[in-house]
Amino acid sequence: MEKNWNSFKRSLLGCVLLLTSLFIGCETNRPMPDGPVSGAFTDDLGREVRIPVPLNRIISLAPSITEMVFAAGAGDRLVGVTSYCNFPAEAKKIQKVGDTQTPNIESIVALKPQLVLVSTASQLEAFASMLERQQIAVFVLDVKKLDDVPDRMRRLGDIFLTKEPAYVAAAEFERRVRAIETAKRPSERPKVFLQISNEPLFTVGSDSFMTELIERAGGTSLTKDISGGYPKISKETALAMDPDVIILSDSEDNKEPNVVLNNSKAVKNGRIIRVNADILSRPGPRLADAVEQIAGSLNK
Amino acid sequence: MTLVAAILLGSERISIFEMTEQGRAILFHIRLPRILLGACVGGSLAVAGASLQALLRNPLAEPYLLGVSNGAALGTLVAFVFLDGYGFARPLLAFAGAGIATFAVYQMAKSRMGMNVERLVLSGVIVTTFLSSIIVLLTSLLDAARLRGYTFWLLGDLSQATYDGFYMTLAAATVGTIVLSSQARALNLMMVGERDAFDFGVEVGRVRMIVFGMASLLVGTAVAASGSVGYVGLIVPHLVRLAIGSDNRLVVPMSAIAGAIFVVLADTVARTAIAPRELPVGAITALIGAPLFIYLLRRANY
Amino acid sequence: MLKINDITIRYGPCDVLRDISFELHEGEMIALLGPNGAGKTTLIKALNGTLPASGEILLNGTPLFSYSRREIAKRIAVVAQENETKFPVTVLEFVLSGRFASGSVFGWESTEDLELANKALEECDLANFGTRLMNELSGGERQRVVLARAIATDAKILLLDEPTANLDLAHQAMMFRLVRRRCREAGSSAIVITHDLNLASEFADKILLLKQGTIFAAGPPAEVLTEANIREVFGVTTLLDRHPASGSVRVTAVY
Repeated sequence: MEKNWNSFKRSLLGCVLLLTSLFIGCETNRPMPDGPVSGAFTDDLGREVRIPVPLNRIISLAPSITEMVFAAGAGDRLVGVTSYCNFPAEAKKIQKVGDTQTPNIESIVALKPQLVLVSTASQLEAFASMLERQQIAVFVLDVKKLDDVPDRMRRLGDIFLTKEPAYVAAAEFERRVRAIETAKRPSERPKVFLQISNEPLFTVGSDSFMTELIERAGGTSLTKDISGGYPKISKETALAMDPDVIILSDSEDNKEPNVVLNNSKAVKNGRIIRVNADILSRPGPRLADAVEQIAGSLNK
Repeated sequence: MTLVAAILLGSERISIFEMTEQGRAILFHIRLPRILLGACVGGSLAVAGASLQALLRNPLAEPYLLGVSNGAALGTLVAFVFLDGYGFARPLLAFAGAGIATFAVYQMAKSRMGMNVERLVLSGVIVTTFLSSIIVLLTSLLDAARLRGYTFWLLGDLSQATYDGFYMTLAAATVGTIVLSSQARALNLMMVGERDAFDFGVEVGRVRMIVFGMASLLVGTAVAASGSVGYVGLIVPHLVRLAIGSDNRLVVPMSAIAGAIFVVLADTVARTAIAPRELPVGAITALIGAPLFIYLLRRANY
Repeated sequence: MLKINDITIRYGPCDVLRDISFELHEGEMIALLGPNGAGKTTLIKALNGTLPASGEILLNGTPLFSYSRREIAKRIAVVAQENETKFPVTVLEFVLSGRFASGSVFGWESTEDLELANKALEECDLANFGTRLMNELSGGERQRVVLARAIATDAKILLLDEPTANLDLAHQAMMFRLVRRRCREAGSSAIVITHDLNLASEFADKILLLKQGTIFAAGPPAEVLTEANIREVFGVTTLLDRHPASGSVRVTAVY
C-alpha cells in the first residue's frame, strides 16, 4: 500500500515535471532573432561543449552562476544548486547538491541534469569526464573581469535560447556600470583598502575582479599590485598604507576593520563601506549593485 | 641580537633614527608583540620536545609528530566554536587537548616489551590523523566563513599576536622551563632507560606525570596562541645536543633559548620572503624540519 | 644487611618465585645460579623493590617498602643487562648519573661525586674513557661503564645481573675480582647472577642454586656444586675436580 502510494507520488511528480518542461518548451519556441541557436558552444576552458535541445534540466555549482542563470531568464530550469545559493529567493527552494568545492556527484547524477555549469577548474577534469560518461554536459564559466559578467549572461542566453531576457539584463548591467564611470567624481581618487577577513588579514590582489571593481567605482586599490587573488597581507604593510576608505566584505567574521587600521584616515573619518559579502564576492549580476554602493560612498 | 635583527626587518622599512608616529605604531603594536610571542612559542615547543625526547628515550619524539599539537589544536577549535573563543578558554582547552593526546599516544606506544621507535611514531601518526579527522569534521559541520581564520591558523601563524597572548605564553614558558629543568637530572637517567632510572632512585611515575603535564601546558599555550608550528621540538633540541652534549640540565634551558631564536628567525623569513604577502611560520619550520627528520631516521643508530 | 623471608612473586596464574628465604651478610658475595627461566632476574628485581613480592624483605632490619626510591638507591646499586641509548651521552656523564640518589634532585654534582666517578672508572679499567660517547663503545666496554656507574653510587649492596655476558676472559676475571675486593675491603656485599659455574665457584662465598622459582640448594660452593645437584637442576652430566691453582671446585660438562 505504502509502496504503491510512493510510486504514485513519484509518477505524479514526473507528470508535473513533464508538463512544466513542455510548458517551458513552448516558451522557448518563441521565434528567435538572428544569431546562434543552441548547439555547440566554447566554454571558458576552450572546450567545445554540445548542448542538448530542448534544455530543461540544469545544475549550477556556484552562487554567482545561479544568479546569472536567473538573470538570463532560465532560473526555473535549475534542478540543482549549491548550499550557498541563496539569491534570488527562488534559488533557496531548489534541490541542494553540496557546495562549490565539494559537490555531491551522486546527487547530481540522480537529478538527471542535461547540463552542469561550474565555475572552478579544481578537480574539473575527473569531475567532467565522470559526468560526460553519463551524457551530462559540463560547461565552465570563469568570470575574471567585470565585463565578463554581461558577456557570460549573453552566452547563457544563447545556450538557453532565452536571448531576450539575457541580452536585456546584460545591457542593463553595462548601462549601470557605465553610468557610474561617467558620473562626476572628485579629481583625486580615494585610496581604498578592501578587507576580506579580519583575522587573519586577507585582502584583494591584482588578480581579483574586486580590484577592478574599486577602480571602476572611482577609487584606487592600495593592494592592486600585490600578486594573486586574495593574499594574506602583512599587518605592518596594512598599517603603513593608511587608506582613505576601507571596504569590508560584510560577513559574520568581518564586521570591523582590523585593529591595525584603527589610526588610519578611513577609521578616523568614519569612511568605512560595508558591502554584503554575497553581493561583493560573487562575480555575478549583482556586482552592479556593489559598484553603485561603493561609488555612492566613495564620491560623497 | 636575533631580536634586534628581527625588529629591524619587516615588510615595512622603519628607520629607528627618524621614528615617525606610524613607525612607532608598527614597531610596538605589530612587530614587537609578534616577535616576543614567537620567542615564547619557540622556547615552549623546544623545551617540550627536549624533555619528551628524554622521557621517551627517543630523539624523534616531537609534539607535532606525536599528535600533542593536534590535541591542542582540537581543544582550541572547541573553545573557538562552543565557547566563543577568547580569554582563558582557548589555552585551557588546548592544554586539556594536549594532555589527552599525550596520554593516548603513551598508552598506545608502550607495551610489555617497552617502547620502540616504530611503535611511538606510528602511535603518533594514528593519533594525529584521528584528531585531524575530528577537526575536519567539526570545520565542515560549522559555518565555513567563520572558520576561515581557523584553518589558516592551524598551519602555525603568528600574525594574530597580541600582548595578551604573549603574557600568557610567557608565563607558561617560564613555569614549564623551570619545572622541567628541575627534573633534568632525573631525565638524564630516564634517557638511558626507565629501569635504570628506577634502580638509581628516580620516582619514574612521578617524573613521567610532571613531564607529560608540563609538556602539555607548554604545547597547549603555544598552540592556542599561534597554531601548530611543527618540528621546532625536533630541530632545536637536536642542534643543542650537537653543540653541548646530552646533559639535560643544559639541554632543557638551552633549548628554550635556541627555540626562541629559531622561531623568531623562521618568522622573520615568513614575514619578509614574499612581502607584503605573508607565509605561515609553520610552513618555514616544516620545510627545515621534515628533511632533518628523514635524515635522523636514516642514521643507523636511531 | 639483606634478609629475605618467604617471598613469592606471581605473574598471572603461576608463581615465578616461591618461598624464597635467605640472608645476605656484610662482606658476603653470593652467586645466583640456575637455568634460564629459573627466576634469577625476577629475584634481583624483587630485592630492590622493582617488582612487588609477598613475604618480607628487610634492608638493615627495616622493611624495604618503608624506604623511598632514593633511600633504596643509596643502599642498593644494580648492574642490569646492558642498555643502549640513542643520545650522545659521554661515559663520565653516564657514570655521574648514578650519583642521582646522593645529590640534590635539581643540582649539579659536587667534587666528591666527580672523585667517586673517576675512581670507579679507574677501577673498571676505563681511566681514559671519560669523554668517549656511550654509543661509540663496544658491548664489553659499555658493560664495564654500567658496572662503574653502580660502583660510583657507593652503595653497600651490589646486585649484578649477568655482568660478564659480553666480557672477554681478562675482564670477566677483573669484574669478579673487583666485586669480591669491595666485599672484603669496603664492607659491601653482592649478589651476582652468572652462568659460569667456575667463576661462581672461584669467587663466591655462597651459592644459591635456583630451580623453577625455588631454592634447590644453598651453601658454600663446594657443597652446592655437586654432580647430582647440577644434573638435577641443569640436566647436564659433569665431571668435578679441583682447580690445580686455587683448589676450588672445577666443573666440566660432559657432552
